[in-house]
Amino acid sequence: MELIDREDHQKLYLQLYEILKKKIETNEWHVGSQIPTEDELCKMFSVSRATVRTAVLELVRQGYLKRQQGKGTFIHRNIISEGLNMQTSLKELLLEEGIEVMPKVLARTVMMPVDDLEQQLDITPDKHIIYIKRLWSVQDEPVLLQENYIPYHICPLLLEDDIEHNSLFELLEKKYRIKITRVKNLIDITRLTADDERVLKLPEGSMALLMTQKFYSGDTLIMYAREVKKPNRFQFLVELERKVV
Amino acid sequence: MSDGKLAKDVMIGIFEYPHIPYWFSINQATRIVKVSFISTKKYPEPMAILVFDEKYNLMGTLTLKDILRGLEPRFMQTSEKMEGYKEQESELSLIWDSLFSKQSKELAEKAVSEIMSPAKYFVEPNDPITKAAYLMVHHDLVLLPVLENKKKFVGLVRMIEVFDQISDSLIKE
Repeated sequence: MELIDREDHQKLYLQLYEILKKKIETNEWHVGSQIPTEDELCKMFSVSRATVRTAVLELVRQGYLKRQQGKGTFIHRNIISEGLNMQTSLKELLLEEGIEVMPKVLARTVMMPVDDLEQQLDITPDKHIIYIKRLWSVQDEPVLLQENYIPYHICPLLLEDDIEHNSLFELLEKKYRIKITRVKNLIDITRLTADDERVLKLPEGSMALLMTQKFYSGDTLIMYAREVKKPNRFQFLVELERKVV
Repeated sequence: MSDGKLAKDVMIGIFEYPHIPYWFSINQATRIVKVSFISTKKYPEPMAILVFDEKYNLMGTLTLKDILRGLEPRFMQTSEKMEGYKEQESELSLIWDSLFSKQSKELAEKAVSEIMSPAKYFVEPNDPITKAAYLMVHHDLVLLPVLENKKKFVGLVRMIEVFDQISDSLIKE
């Protein structure tokens, strides 16, 4: 059994934390089983009660262990999933500070699903969709073409909102109280269609960044977005944040 | 004649019919007809699709006849039938065989805006049904949009309800 190394300069509770974590992650201690009592751990590792308590508390805080009042401490889970926190706001990514970008609404209408929209939005083929197409420009240079698809029944009033001055994300969250809990992004490089080239003022055969996004509220897909971004105008900041699920 | 009934009393909701934007192809519209009507065996009267512009204003209607007409090769399209033209004659059988097969796939890529029946006429919710009947008969319309303040599309008047209301009052009298 791995023991505490008193020659090590690392604090005792951190050493104990690592030893216990390893036992959980390697399934030496199984999910659902009870861990030894504080007294037992003190004896096992020849450390003080305070050291054991601090190490266990940290494991509870991280989500590995769960305390049950009057029963003891149990293994809650043996892997901590990594949460991907991705910053994708246009203004944060694209531009030098202080430059205002405003979208021009090219289309806002209602349609039936065609092509692969039914699958992308996870809806039946008889459902209507709100379609919004906007072009974002910086000092008259078009840089981003954004198409959003929202099942009509999710938010019919979006057809009347001011979508030139408000982001769809904010409208859904703040005005309609639809909490977006998950966003799936897929980034690819794509050859533009003739229509997209014309709108983005790019020559024939141009390549661009294509980002498709799916917005979920719980398990419900509430919006599918397709964004074509002009090359050289965008950087992506991906922030990985570890979190307890 | 129609007991003073108004367009708003008989109109049906706009979501009774599938909506599409004008840039959809005939092919895409055809798939929507299949999914919305044929595979579900819902046969509304009339069977039609509503075509909208990019600002969600109604531009026109698309019936099954409009779609088939859009798929006809150009040489078959005539604005008026010639005097004495006999469509039943046997020497035309070769043409019948190829009518909807050769060029139709290419033609199916055309936008629906090229083949729809444009929405030129409409009634207000408070207009009498008799006005709707007049417009539908004189302009050969299958559906008549109901617009509020000449702008907001709030419903559709169909021939069947117009006929029903007017015939009721005729029979009573």
